[in-house]
Order: sequence, then C-alpha cells, then structure tokens
Amino acid sequence: MSEALASMALVLFDPYLLFLIVITTVIGIVIGVLPGLGATTGAALLLPFTLTMEPVHAIAVLATIYVSATFAGSITAILINTPGTSAAAATTFDGFPLAQKGEAGRALGVAVVSSAIGGIFSVIILCIAAPLLALIAYEFRPPEYFALTVFGLSMLASISAGGAIKNLIGGVFGVWLATIGAERVTAIERFMFGNYELYEGLSFVPVMIGLFAMSELLVQSQTANKIMNIARLDAVRLPTKDDYRKIWRTIVRSSGIGTFIGILPAEGATVASMIGYSEAKRWSKQPDEFGKGSIEGIAGAEAANNSATGGAMVPTLVLGIPGSGTTAIILVGLMVHGLRPGPYLFTEQVGKVYQIFGAMFLANIAFLLMGLYLAKFFAQISLIPARLLWPIVFCLSIVGAYALNSSLLDVWLVLIFGVIGFVARRYGFAVAPIAVGLILGHMVEVNLQNSLKMFEGNWLLLFTQPIAVVFFILAFLGLCGPYIFQWIMKRDK
Amino acid sequence: MHKYTIPVSLSGLWIIIIYLALQLDTSPPLIIGDSMQPRSFPIFLMILNLILTMVLARQMWTMPAEEHASVALPTWLSIVVLILFCVTTIYADMFLALPLAMFALALVWGERNIFMASGVALVTPYLVFMLFSEVLMVRFPRGILIDWYYG
Repeated sequence: MSEALASMALVLFDPYLLFLIVITTVIGIVIGVLPGLGATTGAALLLPFTLTMEPVHAIAVLATIYVSATFAGSITAILINTPGTSAAAATTFDGFPLAQKGEAGRALGVAVVSSAIGGIFSVIILCIAAPLLALIAYEFRPPEYFALTVFGLSMLASISAGGAIKNLIGGVFGVWLATIGAERVTAIERFMFGNYELYEGLSFVPVMIGLFAMSELLVQSQTANKIMNIARLDAVRLPTKDDYRKIWRTIVRSSGIGTFIGILPAEGATVASMIGYSEAKRWSKQPDEFGKGSIEGIAGAEAANNSATGGAMVPTLVLGIPGSGTTAIILVGLMVHGLRPGPYLFTEQVGKVYQIFGAMFLANIAFLLMGLYLAKFFAQISLIPARLLWPIVFCLSIVGAYALNSSLLDVWLVLIFGVIGFVARRYGFAVAPIAVGLILGHMVEVNLQNSLKMFEGNWLLLFTQPIAVVFFILAFLGLCGPYIFQWIMKRDK
Repeated sequence: MHKYTIPVSLSGLWIIIIYLALQLDTSPPLIIGDSMQPRSFPIFLMILNLILTMVLARQMWTMPAEEHASVALPTWLSIVVLILFCVTTIYADMFLALPLAMFALALVWGERNIFMASGVALVTPYLVFMLFSEVLMVRFPRGILIDWYYG
C-alpha cells in the first residue's frame, strides 16, 4: 500500500505529467462544452496524439479527458439547456431553470463542487476496490473469463441509448467484427477478402474514431444551424453553508450510486446521472422543487456522473472489460502502449497503475479550479459555430487515424464506420455496444476456445465452475430479469 | 419506411455473413483439437443475431411504425464530400483532399463567409501536418503536395 501511495505521490514530482494534466483538463473542458463532442469522441480524437508518449502519460491524458469532459457537459447544460455530453442530460432538468432565475453562477458552483467531490470519491474507491477485485480475478481461468465477458456483453442491454435488443444486436455485431482477420490458432483468414492489412484484425483506433467522431459529424450535420441562447453568467459562486447543508447527503449518496453504476460493465455516467437525479428527488424533503431549479437535483446528477468515471475504470483495468464508451477507448490506449489490462497489471505494473490513479485525482482538482474560475470563458467556446468546428474534427479524425499505422486503410475504416455508426444511430442502435463488442470479441472467442480445450470439447462443463455460473446467472438476470418481473406483475394483476 | 424494413435488412446481412463464413477454410482436427473450427464462432454469432432480430421484429409487431425524418440535405452533401475526399486522396493527395473537404463541409453546413471557411480549411491541416510530420515524425502518403514537400 505504501508503494502504491508513493507512486500516486510521484505524479506531483513529474512536471511534464502535471503540465499534461493541466493542458488536457483545458482540452477536456473545451471538448465537454462543445455540444456533440463528448468525452468519448474527445478521447478517440486524442488517442493518436498519445502514441509517442510514455504509457503513464498517455493513459493519464485519456483519463483526464474522461474526467474533465464529463464535468464540462454541465456548463452548457446549465447555461444553454444543451448538455455538452449525454451524461449531463439530467443536469439540464434543474440547472437551466436555476440559470433562468438569474442564478447561473450558483448552479455552476454546485455542479463543479459536486462533480469534483464525486470524482475524488470514486478515485478513492478505485484505489481500494481495484486491487481487491484483482485478488479475486487471480482465480479466473478461461471459463470464468468467458462467463465474465458474456456477463459484460449482457449488460450492453441496459446501455442508455437504444433498446435492449438493439444494443445486444450491436454488441454481437461488434464481437463478429473482432473475428475479421487471421484466426489466432489456425491462422485461417476470415472475412479479409484478400486484404492482408486486415491480417491482424480491425485496428481499434480508426473504428473508434469512425463510430464516435465521424458518425457524430454526420448526426450533427442534421442540426448544423441551430441557434443557441446563452444564460447570463457573471461569476461562478461557491455553494453557501446553507447550500452545503442541503446537498451534502445528496452528494454522498450520488457518489456512491455513481461509483457502483460505473463499476458495472458497460454501464456509464449517463445511467448514473439519471439514477443519481431520481434518487435525489426520492429522498428530498422538497421534491416539488425538482424541475424548477433545485440545487439537490444538480448535485445529484453531477456527483453521480463524475463518480461513475472512477467506477468505470475498475472493470477496465482489473478485468479488461470497459465500463463505458470512453473507457473502451482508454482500454485501447492501454493495449496500444503494451499495458495488458487484468489482475496482473496490479502486480507487474502497480507503480504505473497508481500514477494513473494519481493523475485522475489531480484532474478532479484541476477541473474544480478551472470550473470555478474559467467557466465563463469556457461557456463562450460553446458558441463556436458547428459549421467551423466539425470540419476541424474531420481533419483531426482523418490524420489521427492515419498516423497510427501510416495506413490509408485506417482512413477508409474511419469513413466506413462513420457511415455505419450514423445509419445505426439513425435507426435507434447505439454505437457504444458495437465498440464494446469489438473490444471484448477477442476475449470471448479465445476464452471459449481455451475453455473447450480444458474440458476436452465438453462445453456443458462450463456450467460446473462456480464463479462462471454466478456470472452466467447474473447475465441471465440482466437480460431476462425485467421481462420476468413484468410477467409476474401481470400475472398477479 | 415499412416497420419491418430494419429486421428484414438486418436478417439479410446476417445471412450473407453466414454464407461468407461457410466459405471459409476448415482446419484439420489435429490442429484445432477439442476447440472449434474458425468458422463456427462467427456462424454462432450470426445465428444469435438472427434470433435477436426476430425478437426485435416481434417487438415491432405490437408497436406502430417509427417515424424517421428524412435525412437532411447537409447530411447527404456531407456524405458526398466524404466520397470526394476518398477519390481526391487516392488520385491526388491526402493533404490536398483535406482542405478541399473541410472547405466544402463548412459551406455545406451553412458557412457563408468564404474567408472564414477557407482560413479554417487551410490553417488546420497545415498545423496538423506540421505537428504530425515534424513533431510526431509521421510520414504521410505520397501525392502531389507531399512529394513536393518531401522533395
């Protein structure tokens, strides 16, 4: 533990890392306040820039983007009633009404403080929970990993956007995408159509950039000329003692909820903020104020969405299962930099892991300060016209994708997956399940193959492994639980 | 759009993938041992997706058809710009295609200030090129401009 704490403290003595955290926090907030450009798109765009960095610096950059952009979505949610990120959607319910009452500064003050407390709380939980989970994960063999990935994929059903079935279809399609290329055991080529650049499989980075950034470009082109009105903001105000008295329970509760939701594979900040908001309303002494400018509503949503960031890092680092779209990109970053996610990360690379945690901790402090003192400036950035912003995103996407392997194929992949993502989203399919499926696909197939080898081809023996059975039951409940519950309710009526 | 267009299109796609998977080579039993053939897993996935698509169709049965607004003109034009970007990259130069595509995108999305659009379209690729080429040491694909730059 002392080694871990020393590693975290090392961050303070690495001036380059501190510089990166500050710069990336600014970039993250800018990305967060620009409607359409969320943490996931931002991380996808920045990933190619991190390729030449040290692994810790690279992952710290991506984690800082995640943390700061998730917070920054609240700035536009409060000032222009447009959540900069989907995770800030619940913040609009009370943030904008409070801003319209002339209290935008108070609303932002509550949002930034709640976000920072939620984020710091989740980093502390991350530091405690990740090594404990890693201890359990040491016991995992291929059958357990296979069951775990099945559980992770089943959780896609409840990702916020899209329906359960559509998300599952997207997830399975993503797993299929992972089968493109040479099969690892037999080297038999699958779905390559003679293109040997696909031998190693689809490169994750261009697919991510295509699915998140390029598809968003096409989605945004439908609302290109939307005019936004910004609420008046003089200065951000720290919450008063009365405000703290009113919201501290909400912040603690939502931080716990957000961290827990974040830890669940494939859940994320958006679900966390919605639940955090509704729980804040349920426990409030003044539920009637919700929707009319309640600071408890803002605190509930913001503490939850930022605490989900630390929570989502737990399954990402310990099990290699992304907790959200952004952590899927962070996972790609880990792989690109040769850091193998999983329990061994906590023995072989423990110093690096805790430096990443330390960077996330500092990122929360950095956005707290910037949110308090520079929110007014950042709010103005949100008014950059989309017609100039998105061509820049296009340029960064194309060059960033090309830079990874110096391959034009990656550029074509960005464009192809951009169009696939756009069509999918248009017809109600979320793109995050495709991304998560692609990342988990290799793990699912390899662990199934290894399990079959272990059990000499008898796949029924998969159901004799206690930990695996627990994951299978959880997956079944996750998929069928709501329908069974509905059926029982109907029958009782 | 008919409410079954999505399930029918998806089913068609899954069936095509199953057909393609069936064309894959098989591996001798000696190599794969107790594991599965390389084509088995993709086929299993697509059968799973066919079942899920049927469940989706069943859900749609009870619901009215979803209304989808027609794709906006700027979106169609953006897709055309992307295609032209590909053609220009292949036959001319990526760093010629980028400013042209950016300029066209800005116009398509409603920018009426030609100087602003061309400024963004020229300055951004230049800065990005300098960053990647000179700092990150990335070599870009050869073309009219890049050949001239590299000499």
